[in-house]
Amino acid sequence: MFKDLDPILHSQLRLAVVSLLIGVKEAEFTFLKEKTNSTAGNLSVQIQKLKDAGYIDVVKQFKNNYPQTICKITPQGISAFEEYVKNLQAYLGQSK
Amino acid sequence: MEDKKISEQESLLLIQEMIGKAKSHFHESGGSSILWGSVIGTCGLVSYFQEEFRFSIGFDIWILTLVAILPGIWINIRASKRRSVKTYAQSATDVVWNVFGISIVCLVLYGNIVPSASQHLFSSDNIELLQRNTLTGEIKNYRPSALSLSSIFLIIYAFPTLATGWITGFKPMTIGSIICYAFFVMSLFTPFKYDMLLSGFAGIGNWLIPGLILNSRYRKVKSAHV
Repeated sequence: MFKDLDPILHSQLRLAVVSLLIGVKEAEFTFLKEKTNSTAGNLSVQIQKLKDAGYIDVVKQFKNNYPQTICKITPQGISAFEEYVKNLQAYLGQSK
Repeated sequence: MEDKKISEQESLLLIQEMIGKAKSHFHESGGSSILWGSVIGTCGLVSYFQEEFRFSIGFDIWILTLVAILPGIWINIRASKRRSVKTYAQSATDVVWNVFGISIVCLVLYGNIVPSASQHLFSSDNIELLQRNTLTGEIKNYRPSALSLSSIFLIIYAFPTLATGWITGFKPMTIGSIICYAFFVMSLFTPFKYDMLLSGFAGIGNWLIPGLILNSRYRKVKSAHV
């Protein structure tokens, strides 16, 4: 019996954001937008959902008089991602 | 990319793709490497030519290293402001280069203070160090200092470059640092003027060339995004 995949992570854009953040210390909103090729509005909504789940930390500040949003994965987010990948591998391994 | 459900297979591919994108994100302009490579290269070569051809430019060329500190700090601040992502590797190499800066300042202090401090310490113990010219028999006071201090500088030059090359997998820096270590070994057997020549070549091979390669990659990536 397989565990259900985490619904927070099992979404294209949210999974892409967490996969990007897992390999870096922190990233700006503009970096995430560029790499995921998403719209600012959609990305903001998904970032908020990840933040509400406690998977990422979001810091809003100003840089050269422009607003800057910095995202960083939390230990809870790392655990959730590892669990998601483990379940995914188990599922794909079984279906082979 | 949208907020949509995806299959398990697609999830795995997406994770691989995004991890690859984060890993391959490249934005180092090599400005600091170019600056320090040019400065150390110039200082080393000018010192060598002064010794070889018996002339003086009227001031200590190595003062340029102190002059370069301010533009160096400005380049670093500008580069860190431009970064839209901070990787663990970058954080590690930033620490390595800061430690390098502190070590260089300490070594410069050592080279300037130890000779006179040692002389005072010896004289307080009623000891005087003398050196005798074996050809003329002339005896002069001897100020003790580290022999071949430039060899120690070569080790310090190679250290952050090898660490950065190793951590980031940037081969030109790894190769440059190995060349610098080779110069260090050579400098153990060469007189001062050739140590200066080796220092100049070390600045060029260790920093200037890798910096120019970094800069050319940076420009290519930047132009691809315009």
